[in-house]
Amino acid sequence: MYVIKNGTLYTMDQQGVIQADLRVDEGKIVEIGAGLSTEGMQVIDAAGKCVTPGFVDAHSHIGGIGPGMEEDLNEITNPLTPELDAYYGINPRDKAFQTAISQGITTSCLAPGSANVVCGWVMAYKSAGKNRVVKRPVAMKGAMGINPKGCYSKKNQAPMTRMAIANLMRTYLRNVKEYMKKKEEAAGDPEKMPPFDLGLEHGILVMEKKIPLKVHSYMHDMMTVLEIAKEFDIKITLDHAQGASDYYEELTDEHVQGVIFGPTCEPLFPGEGGKLDPECCKGLDDRKVPVAVMTDGPVTVVNMLLYEMGEAVRCGMDPVRALAMVTSNAARIVGVEDRVGSLAVGKDADILIWSKLPSEAVDAVLEQVMIDGTVVYTAAK
Amino acid sequence: MLIKNGNVHDGLGTVRQQDLRIEGERITQLGEGLTPCEGEEVFDASGMEVLPGFVQALSIWGINGSMQEIRPSSNDNDEKSSPITPELDGFYAFNGRAASIQQLGAFGLTSCGVAPADNNLFGGAIAAFCVEGVNPYKMCLKREIAMMASVTGNLKKTYGSREQAPQTRMWIFTNFGEQLRKAAEYREEEKKPKDEKLAALKRVVEGELPLFVSCDSLAAAERVREIVEQYPKLQLVLVNGFGLTGEEEWIIEGKIPVIVRTAANPMEEDAMTLDLGAIAKLAARGVPVALSGTCTNSLGAREDMLWNGAEMMRVLHDSEAVLPMLTSTPARLLKIDDQTGSLREGLRADVVIWSANPLETYRAQVIRTYQGGKVIYQKGDERTCM
Repeated sequence: MYVIKNGTLYTMDQQGVIQADLRVDEGKIVEIGAGLSTEGMQVIDAAGKCVTPGFVDAHSHIGGIGPGMEEDLNEITNPLTPELDAYYGINPRDKAFQTAISQGITTSCLAPGSANVVCGWVMAYKSAGKNRVVKRPVAMKGAMGINPKGCYSKKNQAPMTRMAIANLMRTYLRNVKEYMKKKEEAAGDPEKMPPFDLGLEHGILVMEKKIPLKVHSYMHDMMTVLEIAKEFDIKITLDHAQGASDYYEELTDEHVQGVIFGPTCEPLFPGEGGKLDPECCKGLDDRKVPVAVMTDGPVTVVNMLLYEMGEAVRCGMDPVRALAMVTSNAARIVGVEDRVGSLAVGKDADILIWSKLPSEAVDAVLEQVMIDGTVVYTAAK
Repeated sequence: MLIKNGNVHDGLGTVRQQDLRIEGERITQLGEGLTPCEGEEVFDASGMEVLPGFVQALSIWGINGSMQEIRPSSNDNDEKSSPITPELDGFYAFNGRAASIQQLGAFGLTSCGVAPADNNLFGGAIAAFCVEGVNPYKMCLKREIAMMASVTGNLKKTYGSREQAPQTRMWIFTNFGEQLRKAAEYREEEKKPKDEKLAALKRVVEGELPLFVSCDSLAAAERVREIVEQYPKLQLVLVNGFGLTGEEEWIIEGKIPVIVRTAANPMEEDAMTLDLGAIAKLAARGVPVALSGTCTNSLGAREDMLWNGAEMMRVLHDSEAVLPMLTSTPARLLKIDDQTGSLREGLRADVVIWSANPLETYRAQVIRTYQGGKVIYQKGDERTCM
């Protein structure tokens, strides 16, 4: 049990920004308030510091892609692999998780890669600790555009075009619907049940709106996903979302659980990369569309969350709203807001202590990281 | 054009509230309380920060390749047909419109170096350009600045995978040394055809062209040093800074400049071996340090200079110490410091007016960017798309 004393708490919930103490016990935040008793407890002095929730990276592949794993999250042999589960592609000991911690990332939403139109289950996973799975699954991953097109064109297989991508995604969702119907009609009679199909089983959660379809999509591909979402009445998250500023009105649709923008560490290039608009973060936030940012790690550097917040602030976003993109908003979009993403009693004690507000001060230093209450990182003095 | 009352950061380490006059493409006057001439446009920069345009020492800007062209092709700075191409000129890799469309002025950049890629042992000459324009000849600030070399694992990946040399670091360093030795011994003779490769490298050995060497580890930098030590006139510049510890006395004593590049892609294992604390230690002991972009040939963000500056700010917490690493030092290494990279009378008016100091707060926005006295970006301009 310990108390973090006198910090400025960016709670990222209704309490807002407060000067207060925060008590941690058995991995959870158990008390928040001014002047908490510290008798018999360890004290962490946070006077003059910023205390934020641990960062939630809303779209990442660390532990599953990189040296040693190569492409364990990218099964490029069939464009429809809904039966797969990111859990099995993850090496929990990959040192990328340590790097993530050093950048404040305590939870990552780990998704299968974007070679397939339907890629498989996504999970929320902590960077350290004993029970690292926060939730599994949190989404079904899908992908539009150049990744599936590029990967399968090389093999002279479908999808070679955006036409076929839209068709494949619809086919899968239709199959799930029919499978569900047959199961319902069977009314528990084993004789009448359709043969068990793991991939279709996985899709039931999407159809029941228990998890979203999390789709790699840029520019006009987002509109294709939205059309499909309306047609099947499912929830979607639009991941990468470059060009979102061209579609503000459309993206306020109720089927959009959130937009996960980034990573922005690219030059402009023709096609999907033709528009880079970090200003969409503010634009979406102003319109109450939940917006988060991502590292897409390890495809890009894991410190990208800092810079994406920073660039959104440069485009006029309030620094605390920018912080929400890597904490409360990210947790809500991923569907793990009951556990992480804010500093509130009952939440996991995933806590960061910063020298300054990281979404505003360029030289803010991350001094300490706690996951489930355990200190997992302390900056070198 | 008179920019009044801004906090003028000269890029050499000092900041002062003063006025700055631009006439034509040059800065003609710096001082307090300058009076506007008749008909002169005045820009009130009160409360704003006036910085030199960033100089990206080694960049990807203006280089076309598969990602921009109608046919699959090599990037124009990446002649992967032979690992030894010192006779080539990076000038020809640059396309003015390809650079302009990136709208680099909106990110505080006004000039960039263009070098052959890291895939060749000796790649060719480096050139420097401004960032906005069409005609490379008009945009060029300097040609034949230095020779680009690489002793990284990229050579093995590029050629080794095709069953060609090099497949090993043995080949890389042996040939690095042998090419320089042959160049040192090379004499042009009337009756013999000129050896373009050795002639190009001879200029390096003679110290006429500095040698920029991309290294992916401390060991690589040490092997390079052992080899080039035999040529007292040769001017070495280390590129990347991977694996440096800050304790390298030979770098400190030799004041060997370091151009820091980060890895855009941590799937390259070298990415995590860059320690900016170590680089800051070298800088504190007088080693010229330039912060550049990423070391990946086709990726890299327009914000790289800002972000690498931010990385260094988290070590040094002193924006006047970091700013020269983005401006005057890279300009010096590219030998364009007599043209740009600092705010001094007589230099090109490569000037960026920021709403706040971009090395201190993310709230800082570019208000206006001048390249050679011409406004190339203003806040509110539409962002370009491709």
